[in-house]
Amino acid sequence: MIVRDLTKTYDGRKVLDVKHFEFEKGRIYAVVGANGSGKSTFAKVLAGVISSDEANCILRDKTCVVRYSPQKGYAFRMSTLKNVTMAGKGKRDREKAKELLKSLDMEHLMKTPAHKLSGGETAKMALARVMMEKCDYLILDEPCAAMDVQSTLKTEELVKAYCEKCGCAVIIITHSLKQAERISDRVLYFEEGILTESGASAEILHNPKSEKTRAFLDFYTI
Amino acid sequence: MKTAFLQAIELVLSGDKQLLGILEVTMRMSIASSLLALLIGVPIGVLLSTARFPGRQALVVVNRTLTGVPPVVCGLICYMLFSGVGPLRHLRLLYTVQGMVIAQIMLITPIVVANMEAYLRDIVPSIRETSKGLGLSAGKVFVITAAESRYQIISTYLLGFARATAEVGAVSMVGGAIAYKTNVMTTAIMNSTSRGDFTLGVALGIILLAISLVINVVAYFLQRRVSR
Ligand SMILES: Nc1ncnc2c1ncn2[C@@H]1O[C@H](COP(=O)(O)OP(=O)(O)O)[C@@H](O)[C@H]1O
Ligand SMILES: [Mg+2]
Repeated sequence: MIVRDLTKTYDGRKVLDVKHFEFEKGRIYAVVGANGSGKSTFAKVLAGVISSDEANCILRDKTCVVRYSPQKGYAFRMSTLKNVTMAGKGKRDREKAKELLKSLDMEHLMKTPAHKLSGGETAKMALARVMMEKCDYLILDEPCAAMDVQSTLKTEELVKAYCEKCGCAVIIITHSLKQAERISDRVLYFEEGILTESGASAEILHNPKSEKTRAFLDFYTI
Repeated sequence: MKTAFLQAIELVLSGDKQLLGILEVTMRMSIASSLLALLIGVPIGVLLSTARFPGRQALVVVNRTLTGVPPVVCGLICYMLFSGVGPLRHLRLLYTVQGMVIAQIMLITPIVVANMEAYLRDIVPSIRETSKGLGLSAGKVFVITAAESRYQIISTYLLGFARATAEVGAVSMVGGAIAYKTNVMTTAIMNSTSRGDFTLGVALGIILLAISLVINVVAYFLQRRVSR
């Protein structure tokens, strides 16, 4: 998937501007940046949920499948298990959904109406849901923002396993640089909508090119 | 005043034939019109809030305008359509329950649409984002969205039913308040009052209030389920 000259303007304000970036399958990409730096907008455009200012900024195979889980996943008024099963297309959906929920310690909540789950539980439900089917590009918008530490680590394991199994690219937005370091091969750093730095995770996180990125990273090691 | 009230309660309890006739016609008309308005209005409401097409906003505003049409104006339109010189005269709908139902549908459907649209406009962007991210088909999203608003649909239905039972202007013009045929509770109250017979009017008023009370109790509890 190649992104080039991608911009998004809201009410005359350009909130996203990516000159060029190429996503390769089999890799995990972490997207970092301050609040309002355009990470979610980038994810939405990649997922095709919103359109960019101009068409054809994203080149990818017509047949490739993109899955996306928004920052605030919607909990449908049905059981947690059904919320996950509904994303499936095969026959063994129920077992698969149960397995996924089990691996996130959600076994006891399968029958609970999803809209009554806590923030972290909803996030886990949404994660299980988006991983029901195979895809070529998996986009997760702050999946662990509301999760406890154990769940966060489990999520990372699950995402890595999914990436290896499907051979897909994973694009994960996160505010935890520790998480970016643990999970990603590549890091994309956004500043006011502009993709200012990108490259191998260790490189960006420990040896950023620009002073501004360094300042941001120092600040975020907390 | 007091005697009229007591007599009215007696009348309700006695199972008076005239009263039962009025009740039956009212129920037939209200149930039919509110159900049909729901069947037409819910899909339109869901479409208006989920589909993206040019002129959608304009349709929303047009629909909101239609919710404010005075019932007598709707009655006038139906009367002109159904009467001896109207284009639909051969359907013989004037002074029939069917004709009244059509007038009611014209009044209630915009309310159903507006109600659904107002409820869905808050949740649809989020539903759309999530279902698009999961690669669900447009048909599945439509069904899910309708299912998501099931409590809203029930309370919208109750609102429509209450509207149907309380309506006077359109049904008296189109129905003509013919005894045992098109006379409903509201028109019967008008007629009996103009005759100076308050007993029947008060009795019907009590029943109308009771219906409204039941509907609002049910709607209240539904509302509590809807608000998360
Ligand atoms: N639908 C919208 N309408 C107008 N402005 C928006 C909209 N969505 C996002 N923005 C603006 O775009 C900027 C980037 O938002 P976002 O991509 O959500 O940032 P974040 O990096 O925190 O995820 C913000 O300043 C936000 O206010
Ligand atoms: Mg965001």
